[in-house]
Amino acid sequence: MAAPPEPGEPEERKLLGFLDVENTPCARHSILYGSLGSVVAGFGHFLFTSRIRRSCDVGVGGFILVTLGCWFHCRYNYAKQRIQERIAREEIKKKILYEGTHLDPERKHNGSSSN
Amino acid sequence: MAHAAQVGLQDATSPIMEELITFHDHALMIIFLICFLVLYALFLTLTTKLTNTNISDAQEMETVWTILPAIILVLIALPSLRILYMTDEVNDPSLTIKSIGHQWYWTYEYTDYGGLIFNSYMLPPLFLEPGDLRLLDVDNRMVLPIEAPIRMMITSQDVLHSWAVPTLGLKTDAIPGRLNQTTFTATRPGVYYGQCSEICGANHSFMPIVLELIPLKIFEMGPVFTL
Repeated sequence: MAAPPEPGEPEERKLLGFLDVENTPCARHSILYGSLGSVVAGFGHFLFTSRIRRSCDVGVGGFILVTLGCWFHCRYNYAKQRIQERIAREEIKKKILYEGTHLDPERKHNGSSSN
Repeated sequence: MAHAAQVGLQDATSPIMEELITFHDHALMIIFLICFLVLYALFLTLTTKLTNTNISDAQEMETVWTILPAIILVLIALPSLRILYMTDEVNDPSLTIKSIGHQWYWTYEYTDYGGLIFNSYMLPPLFLEPGDLRLLDVDNRMVLPIEAPIRMMITSQDVLHSWAVPTLGLKTDAIPGRLNQTTFTATRPGVYYGQCSEICGANHSFMPIVLELIPLKIFEMGPVFTL
Protein backbone atom coordinates (compact mmCIF):
# COMPACT_ATOMS: atom_id res chain seq x y z
CA MET A 1 0.00 0.00 0.00
CA ALA A 2 2.86 2.37 0.84
CA ALA A 3 5.65 1.67 -1.63
CA PRO A 4 5.38 2.76 -5.26
CA PRO A 5 4.11 -0.14 -7.41
CA GLU A 6 6.93 -2.37 -8.63
CA PRO A 7 6.90 -3.83 -12.19
CA GLY A 8 5.21 -7.12 -11.22
CA GLU A 9 2.61 -5.61 -8.90
CA PRO A 10 -0.85 -4.29 -9.89
CA GLU A 11 -1.02 -0.51 -10.36
CA GLU A 12 -3.14 1.65 -8.09
CA ARG A 13 -6.65 2.08 -9.41
CA LYS A 14 -8.69 4.53 -7.36
CA LEU A 15 -12.47 4.66 -7.73
CA LEU A 16 -13.84 8.21 -7.39
CA GLY A 17 -10.23 9.25 -6.88
CA PHE A 18 -9.75 7.73 -3.43
CA LEU A 19 -10.77 4.08 -3.09
CA ASP A 20 -7.76 1.97 -4.08
CA VAL A 21 -9.49 -1.23 -5.23
CA GLU A 22 -6.30 -3.02 -6.24
CA ASN A 23 -4.44 -2.78 -2.95
CA THR A 24 -7.31 -2.80 -0.43
CA PRO A 25 -8.19 -6.39 0.54
CA CYS A 26 -11.76 -7.35 -0.44
CA ALA A 27 -12.46 -4.02 -2.22
CA ARG A 28 -12.21 -5.27 -5.80
CA HIS A 29 -14.20 -8.41 -5.00
CA SER A 30 -16.98 -6.40 -3.30
CA ILE A 31 -17.22 -3.76 -6.04
CA LEU A 32 -17.38 -6.42 -8.77
CA TYR A 33 -20.09 -8.39 -7.01
CA GLY A 34 -21.88 -5.13 -6.27
CA SER A 35 -21.84 -4.20 -9.95
CA LEU A 36 -23.17 -7.61 -10.89
CA GLY A 37 -25.89 -7.34 -8.25
CA SER A 38 -26.77 -3.86 -9.48
CA VAL A 39 -27.15 -5.03 -13.09
CA VAL A 40 -29.18 -8.09 -12.09
CA ALA A 41 -31.48 -6.14 -9.77
CA GLY A 42 -31.94 -3.18 -12.11
CA PHE A 43 -32.43 -5.20 -15.26
CA GLY A 44 -34.67 -7.71 -13.48
CA HIS A 45 -36.85 -4.89 -12.14
CA PHE A 46 -37.09 -3.36 -15.60
CA LEU A 47 -38.12 -6.69 -17.15
CA PHE A 48 -40.98 -6.98 -14.68
CA THR A 49 -42.13 -3.36 -14.60
CA SER A 50 -40.77 -1.58 -17.71
CA ARG A 51 -40.10 1.48 -15.54
CA ILE A 52 -36.70 2.87 -16.45
CA ARG A 53 -36.24 5.43 -13.74
CA ARG A 54 -37.36 3.19 -10.91
CA SER A 55 -35.18 0.36 -12.28
CA CYS A 56 -32.15 2.65 -12.15
CA ASP A 57 -32.99 3.45 -8.52
CA VAL A 58 -33.27 -0.27 -7.76
CA GLY A 59 -29.95 -0.83 -9.54
CA VAL A 60 -28.18 1.77 -7.42
CA GLY A 61 -29.77 0.42 -4.26
CA GLY A 62 -28.76 -3.09 -5.27
CA PHE A 63 -25.19 -1.98 -5.88
CA ILE A 64 -24.93 -0.42 -2.43
CA LEU A 65 -26.51 -3.35 -0.60
CA VAL A 66 -24.62 -6.11 -2.44
CA THR A 67 -21.31 -4.24 -2.12
CA LEU A 68 -21.82 -3.72 1.61
CA GLY A 69 -22.88 -7.32 2.14
CA CYS A 70 -19.90 -8.76 0.22
CA TRP A 71 -17.58 -6.30 1.95
CA PHE A 72 -18.58 -7.27 5.48
CA HIS A 73 -18.56 -10.99 4.66
CA CYS A 74 -15.14 -10.81 3.03
CA ARG A 75 -13.62 -8.62 5.77
CA TYR A 76 -14.93 -10.96 8.47
CA ASN A 77 -13.28 -13.94 6.77
CA TYR A 78 -10.11 -11.89 6.19
CA ALA A 79 -9.97 -11.01 9.88
CA LYS A 80 -10.42 -14.69 10.84
CA GLN A 81 -7.65 -15.64 8.41
CA ARG A 82 -5.28 -13.04 9.86
CA ILE A 83 -5.88 -14.37 13.36
CA GLN A 84 -5.22 -17.93 12.20
CA GLU A 85 -2.03 -16.79 10.43
CA ARG A 86 -0.85 -15.05 13.58
CA ILE A 87 -1.52 -18.14 15.70
CA ALA A 88 0.28 -20.34 13.16
CA ARG A 89 3.25 -17.94 13.09
CA GLU A 90 3.51 -17.97 16.89
CA GLU A 91 3.28 -21.76 17.04
CA ILE A 92 6.00 -22.17 14.40
CA LYS A 93 8.21 -19.74 16.31
CA LYS A 94 7.57 -21.62 19.57
CA LYS A 95 8.33 -24.95 17.92
CA ILE A 96 11.62 -23.67 16.54
CA LEU A 97 12.59 -22.19 19.91
CA TYR A 98 11.61 -25.11 22.11
CA GLU A 99 12.24 -28.13 19.86
CA GLY A 100 14.13 -30.81 21.78
CA THR A 101 13.61 -29.14 25.16
CA HIS A 102 11.15 -30.04 27.92
CA LEU A 103 8.96 -27.17 26.72
CA ASP A 104 8.50 -28.69 23.26
CA PRO A 105 4.71 -28.73 22.67
CA GLU A 106 4.99 -31.86 20.50
CA ARG A 107 6.78 -33.74 23.26
CA LYS A 108 4.08 -32.77 25.76
CA HIS A 109 1.37 -33.85 23.31
CA ASN A 110 3.09 -37.21 22.51
CA GLY A 111 3.70 -37.80 26.20
CA SER A 112 0.05 -37.27 27.12
CA SER A 113 -1.22 -39.44 24.22
CA SER A 114 1.13 -42.37 25.12
CA ASN A 115 -0.10 -42.19 28.77
CA MET B 1 9.20 6.13 4.87
CA ALA B 2 6.72 7.65 2.46
CA HIS B 3 7.53 7.62 -1.26
CA ALA B 4 7.15 10.75 -3.39
CA ALA B 5 3.57 12.03 -3.74
CA GLN B 6 2.27 9.29 -1.45
CA VAL B 7 -1.24 9.99 -0.19
CA GLY B 8 -2.14 6.72 1.53
CA LEU B 9 -0.95 5.26 4.81
CA GLN B 10 2.49 3.69 5.13
CA ASP B 11 2.84 -0.08 5.58
CA ALA B 12 2.26 -1.17 9.15
CA THR B 13 5.14 -2.01 11.45
CA SER B 14 3.06 -2.64 14.54
CA PRO B 15 -0.18 -4.52 15.27
CA ILE B 16 -1.96 -1.27 16.16
CA MET B 17 -1.10 0.24 12.79
CA GLU B 18 -2.43 -2.90 11.08
CA GLU B 19 -5.71 -2.39 12.93
CA LEU B 20 -5.74 1.28 11.97
CA ILE B 21 -5.24 0.42 8.29
CA THR B 22 -8.08 -2.12 8.49
CA PHE B 23 -10.35 0.49 10.06
CA HIS B 24 -9.30 3.05 7.45
CA ASP B 25 -10.26 0.63 4.64
CA HIS B 26 -13.61 -0.05 6.35
CA ALA B 27 -14.44 3.66 6.75
CA LEU B 28 -13.29 4.42 3.20
CA MET B 29 -15.62 1.81 1.70
CA ILE B 30 -18.57 3.33 3.58
CA ILE B 31 -17.53 6.81 2.44
CA PHE B 32 -17.26 5.58 -1.16
CA LEU B 33 -20.79 4.16 -1.10
CA ILE B 34 -22.22 7.34 0.40
CA CYS B 35 -20.43 9.45 -2.23
CA PHE B 36 -21.79 7.17 -4.94
CA LEU B 37 -25.34 7.59 -3.61
CA VAL B 38 -24.97 11.37 -3.36
CA LEU B 39 -23.57 11.57 -6.91
CA TYR B 40 -26.53 9.57 -8.16
CA ALA B 41 -28.98 11.83 -6.32
CA LEU B 42 -27.23 14.86 -7.77
CA PHE B 43 -27.45 13.40 -11.25
CA LEU B 44 -31.18 12.77 -10.82
CA THR B 45 -31.73 16.30 -9.53
CA LEU B 46 -29.94 17.82 -12.50
CA THR B 47 -31.71 15.72 -15.13
CA THR B 48 -35.30 15.60 -13.86
CA LYS B 49 -38.15 17.19 -15.77
CA LEU B 50 -40.39 17.15 -12.70
CA THR B 51 -40.87 20.45 -10.96
CA ASN B 52 -43.20 20.61 -7.98
CA THR B 53 -42.91 23.56 -5.68
CA ASN B 54 -45.62 22.38 -3.26
CA ILE B 55 -43.91 19.42 -1.59
CA SER B 56 -44.34 19.72 2.15
CA ASP B 57 -44.55 16.19 3.64
CA ALA B 58 -42.22 13.27 3.20
CA GLN B 59 -42.48 11.42 6.48
CA GLU B 60 -41.19 8.07 5.26
CA MET B 61 -38.20 9.57 3.50
CA GLU B 62 -37.35 11.69 6.54
CA THR B 63 -37.52 8.61 8.77
CA VAL B 64 -35.19 6.72 6.45
CA TRP B 65 -32.66 9.51 6.15
CA THR B 66 -32.53 9.87 9.92
CA ILE B 67 -32.24 6.24 10.91
CA LEU B 68 -29.88 5.15 8.13
CA PRO B 69 -27.12 7.67 8.95
CA ALA B 70 -27.42 6.71 12.63
CA ILE B 71 -26.85 3.05 11.71
CA ILE B 72 -23.91 4.01 9.51
CA LEU B 73 -22.37 6.02 12.34
CA VAL B 74 -22.70 3.07 14.71
CA LEU B 75 -21.02 0.81 12.12
CA ILE B 76 -18.11 3.24 12.02
CA ALA B 77 -17.99 4.03 15.75
CA LEU B 78 -17.80 0.45 17.06
CA PRO B 79 -14.51 -0.54 15.39
CA SER B 80 -13.17 2.94 16.07
CA LEU B 81 -13.76 2.66 19.82
CA ARG B 82 -12.31 -0.83 19.85
CA ILE B 83 -9.05 0.44 18.39
CA LEU B 84 -9.09 3.51 20.63
CA TYR B 85 -9.11 1.34 23.75
CA MET B 86 -6.56 -1.01 22.22
CA THR B 87 -4.10 1.86 21.84
CA ASP B 88 -4.44 2.61 25.56
CA GLU B 89 -3.43 -0.88 26.66
CA VAL B 90 -0.05 -1.12 28.35
CA ASN B 91 1.32 -4.66 27.90
CA ASP B 92 4.10 -4.89 30.50
CA PRO B 93 6.79 -2.98 28.58
CA SER B 94 10.32 -4.39 28.49
CA LEU B 95 11.95 -1.01 27.98
CA THR B 96 11.10 2.57 28.82
CA ILE B 97 12.58 5.43 26.84
CA LYS B 98 12.12 9.12 27.40
CA SER B 99 11.86 11.46 24.46
CA ILE B 100 12.23 15.17 25.11
CA GLY B 101 11.43 17.76 22.47
CA HIS B 102 13.51 20.87 22.12
CA GLN B 103 13.71 23.65 19.60
CA TRP B 104 14.69 22.00 17.26
CA TYR B 105 15.93 18.51 18.08
CA TRP B 106 14.98 15.50 20.16
CA THR B 107 16.73 14.09 23.21
CA TYR B 108 16.42 10.39 23.98
CA GLU B 109 17.10 8.88 27.39
CA TYR B 110 17.67 5.17 27.90
CA THR B 111 17.78 5.05 31.68
CA ASP B 112 16.57 1.49 32.35
CA TYR B 113 20.01 -0.08 32.11
CA GLY B 114 22.43 2.77 32.68
CA GLY B 115 22.34 6.45 31.87
CA LEU B 116 22.47 6.76 28.10
CA ILE B 117 21.27 10.18 26.98
CA PHE B 118 21.84 11.66 23.54
CA ASN B 119 20.52 14.31 21.19
CA SER B 120 19.19 13.65 17.73
CA TYR B 121 19.66 16.48 15.27
CA MET B 122 18.64 16.51 11.62
CA LEU B 123 21.63 16.09 9.29
CA PRO B 124 22.15 19.40 7.49
CA PRO B 125 22.22 19.02 3.67
CA LEU B 126 25.95 19.71 3.57
CA PHE B 127 26.61 16.74 5.85
CA LEU B 128 24.57 14.20 3.91
CA GLU B 129 26.31 11.09 2.58
CA PRO B 130 25.19 9.55 -0.75
CA GLY B 131 22.01 7.59 -0.05
CA ASP B 132 21.00 9.67 2.97
CA LEU B 133 17.55 11.17 2.97
CA ARG B 134 17.35 14.96 2.88
CA LEU B 135 15.43 16.50 5.83
CA LEU B 136 14.83 13.03 7.31
CA ASP B 137 18.13 11.53 8.38
CA VAL B 138 19.61 12.37 11.76
CA ASP B 139 23.04 12.17 13.36
CA ASN B 140 21.98 9.74 16.12
CA ARG B 141 19.12 7.36 15.49
CA MET B 142 17.00 5.86 18.23
CA VAL B 143 17.84 2.15 18.25
CA LEU B 144 15.20 -0.23 19.57
CA PRO B 145 14.49 -3.98 19.60
CA ILE B 146 11.65 -5.56 17.64
CA GLU B 147 9.00 -7.84 19.14
CA ALA B 148 9.38 -6.27 22.57
CA PRO B 149 6.80 -3.92 24.08
CA ILE B 150 8.36 -0.49 24.48
CA ARG B 151 7.08 2.41 26.51
CA MET B 152 7.83 5.97 25.35
CA MET B 153 7.54 8.84 27.82
CA ILE B 154 7.31 12.03 25.86
CA THR B 155 7.67 15.59 27.05
CA SER B 156 9.10 18.89 25.99
CA GLN B 157 11.62 21.27 27.42
CA ASP B 158 10.28 24.42 25.78
CA VAL B 159 7.26 24.62 23.45
CA LEU B 160 4.77 22.08 22.13
CA HIS B 161 6.15 19.38 19.86
CA SER B 162 4.73 16.06 18.75
CA TRP B 163 6.58 12.78 18.44
CA ALA B 164 5.19 10.92 15.45
CA VAL B 165 6.17 7.78 13.56
CA PRO B 166 3.44 7.00 10.98
CA THR B 167 4.46 3.43 10.23
CA LEU B 168 4.04 2.49 13.90
CA GLY B 169 0.75 4.39 14.17
CA LEU B 170 2.20 6.73 16.79
CA LYS B 171 1.69 10.40 17.37
CA THR B 172 1.98 11.80 20.86
CA ASP B 173 2.20 15.44 21.86
CA ALA B 174 5.25 16.64 23.74
CA ILE B 175 3.93 19.17 26.22
CA PRO B 176 6.17 21.12 28.60
CA GLY B 177 5.46 20.20 32.20
CA ARG B 178 3.60 17.02 31.26
CA LEU B 179 4.64 13.43 30.63
CA ASN B 180 2.68 11.61 27.95
CA GLN B 181 2.99 7.89 27.58
CA THR B 182 2.65 5.71 24.51
CA THR B 183 3.52 2.06 24.01
CA PHE B 184 4.21 0.03 20.92
CA THR B 185 5.58 -3.28 19.71
CA ALA B 186 7.41 -3.30 16.39
CA THR B 187 7.01 -6.43 14.29
CA ARG B 188 9.75 -6.06 11.70
CA PRO B 189 13.27 -4.65 11.62
CA GLY B 190 14.21 -1.61 9.57
CA VAL B 191 14.72 2.13 9.66
CA TYR B 192 11.57 4.17 10.11
CA TYR B 193 11.07 7.89 9.88
CA GLY B 194 8.78 10.44 11.41
CA GLN B 195 8.64 14.19 11.76
CA CYS B 196 7.66 16.66 14.46
CA SER B 197 3.90 17.08 14.21
CA GLU B 198 3.18 20.21 16.23
CA ILE B 199 4.22 23.65 15.05
CA CYS B 200 7.11 24.72 17.20
CA GLY B 201 8.92 27.54 15.49
CA ALA B 202 11.12 28.28 12.52
CA ASN B 203 12.67 24.82 12.24
CA HIS B 204 9.58 22.78 13.02
CA SER B 205 10.00 20.91 9.72
CA PHE B 206 13.64 20.15 10.45
CA MET B 207 13.55 17.99 13.57
CA PRO B 208 12.84 14.47 12.29
CA ILE B 209 12.59 11.23 14.26
CA VAL B 210 14.45 8.13 13.08
CA LEU B 211 13.97 4.71 14.61
CA GLU B 212 16.36 1.88 13.86
CA LEU B 213 14.60 -1.34 14.82
CA ILE B 214 16.87 -4.35 15.19
CA PRO B 215 16.42 -7.95 16.38
CA LEU B 216 16.39 -8.34 20.15
CA LYS B 217 19.50 -10.55 20.16
CA ILE B 218 21.54 -7.85 18.46
CA PHE B 219 20.06 -5.13 20.66
CA GLU B 220 21.06 -7.09 23.77
CA MET B 221 24.66 -7.21 22.54
CA GLY B 222 24.72 -3.53 23.25
CA PRO B 223 25.17 -1.50 20.04
CA VAL B 224 23.09 1.28 21.60
CA PHE B 225 25.32 1.59 24.61
CA THR B 226 28.59 1.96 22.74
CA LEU B 227 27.84 5.54 21.69
